[in-house]
Amino acid sequence: MDQIKSILKEILQVNVAPDVFTWLEEKRPLNTAFALLPRKTGKAVVNVTAGQSGQLDAIIPGFTVDGWTIDRLGRAYLLLNLDTADKDAYFRVIENLFLAAEMGELVALYSALPLLAYPEIWVKRCSEGIRSNIGSVLEAIMYSNPYPAQNLDQSAWNQLVLKAFFTDKDINKIIGIDTRANKELAYILSDYAHERWAAGREVNPKSWRLVGPFIDDKLFEDIKRLFEEGNLADRRAGALAVSASNYQPARTLLNKYPELVTAIENKNLSWDTLTGN
Amino acid sequence: MCCTHSFEEVKSEPLSPPVSLDGIKGMKFFDPHVHMTSRTTDDYQAMADAGVVALIEPAFWLGQPRTGIDTFRDYYSSLIGWERFRSSQFGIKHYCTIGLNSREANNEALAEQVMEILPLFIYKEGVVGIGEIGFDDQTPAEEKYYRAQLELAKEAGLPVQIHTPHRDKKGGTTRSMDIAIEHGLDPRMVIVDHNNEETVKEVLDRGFWAAFTIYPFTKMGNERMVDIAKQYGPERIMVNSAADWGISDPLAVPKTAALMKIRGISDADIELITYRNAITAFAQSGQIDEKDFATAGSAIDQSQKFEGNTILRGGQQPRIDKSSIIIS
Repeated sequence: MDQIKSILKEILQVNVAPDVFTWLEEKRPLNTAFALLPRKTGKAVVNVTAGQSGQLDAIIPGFTVDGWTIDRLGRAYLLLNLDTADKDAYFRVIENLFLAAEMGELVALYSALPLLAYPEIWVKRCSEGIRSNIGSVLEAIMYSNPYPAQNLDQSAWNQLVLKAFFTDKDINKIIGIDTRANKELAYILSDYAHERWAAGREVNPKSWRLVGPFIDDKLFEDIKRLFEEGNLADRRAGALAVSASNYQPARTLLNKYPELVTAIENKNLSWDTLTGN
Repeated sequence: MCCTHSFEEVKSEPLSPPVSLDGIKGMKFFDPHVHMTSRTTDDYQAMADAGVVALIEPAFWLGQPRTGIDTFRDYYSSLIGWERFRSSQFGIKHYCTIGLNSREANNEALAEQVMEILPLFIYKEGVVGIGEIGFDDQTPAEEKYYRAQLELAKEAGLPVQIHTPHRDKKGGTTRSMDIAIEHGLDPRMVIVDHNNEETVKEVLDRGFWAAFTIYPFTKMGNERMVDIAKQYGPERIMVNSAADWGISDPLAVPKTAALMKIRGISDADIELITYRNAITAFAQSGQIDEKDFATAGSAIDQSQKFEGNTILRGGQQPRIDKSSIIIS
């Protein structure tokens, strides 16, 4: 984490005035400094070089501070400066910040989870964050945050993904979305799709990204429905899902749509380009 | 339009003129005292539609006493967290004041614990004052924690929002101001709330801000408010709804502005009383940036914008069609 700390320090130095940087480096009670920080730093979006982003990603794959505001970065930096020697004390100090946090602080705290010492002690806190209904807090946990995929057990991970669908988040930004895919989640998403269909509501076509690798007799019925009754995005999603499956009847169905097969092979169609964004 | 309809029927008084906010279309309002945790999304929507762009939610009593410190912590936390988020969904900038209210100051064992956690919250972003604090029964315990919180406000450089008592209002108001002066607070940093015809002169003469709560049946009516505005002018006067869990009206500020307009008060004076003065008073906290709410479609702040919610005035939440029997 020392490397991370020095990169964040380097980014901070060019993004705040010298007196503000001095303020950040001074010793003071954490609770007050953490709360007061935006009054010193402002809330502009930080400038980060491609080199710095690359370094961060090399040390913690998936982690980025691109698009972060300066107060969020400054708060993460304060956390990196904490003494980690006493595990219990370290936990209490940070947990207390969570307990009295406003929205901006929650965003900083949750997005700093991958930077904290003793990753295993933050699992409950992370699961609790996923129960939040505050959009920015959820995004801090879900987007460009490698902590959940690395640390959550399957049921907590599945809750994160389901919550992302329920709150219309961009599934593509979740780190580990494919590596943590699992059969249980595929079935839950299938049930969810049926519920939505019954209510006459749309189903997010990206759901099928998590169903594809687990297609079997039952899930195949959903895939068929995408091709038979869906719109273009549904068919494209169906095709992408099948391309991740070895279930033969699904492959046979996909081959009836050679233009989709070609588009996937040529990488003109992927989950990132599915809905044109 | 809001909650008084059935009462008018019960009392079989002549119907008052129907609500028309046409005269104030395009005006912006700042409600510096409203308890949104007690209100519904319909209220938020109506407030946004009527031109309320920002509000202050003072920490108060929840209608029954709390029995433990954690419920206080969670309440303060919700004022800077969930409620702020809920408000942002309707394009209304949400600020709050944090304090131990007078009623619950009487539970001294608990009050001590509350005083210990207050410093955790008063430095948070968007906390624009210590409030609402002051007297209810005017007991010694109330006085003790009122004084302690005045010291806290002084130390933090925050304005104070004073709740004045329902009973013995005039005496309680005078006493509240005496004590604030005794603690060395600048009257310009103190907003004295829930004024009426009997208290306003002294509050203004002594250099304090005078806030008026337009609240049916128990506090000020807006016709009386118009008369006060005519008599005293707009300087250091502001109105609020103090809408809460009682029969109250979250549109009190825009409605009062509309009535002022009808009764011939100038637009400039209406703006001071229903928008500008509250900002001037509470911006002394350093926590109000008018850019965050003054222009239509302005994003709440950079971090909010970054999350992908460019918060549009009143346009963020999907609207439900109230006139339809179908709920989809």
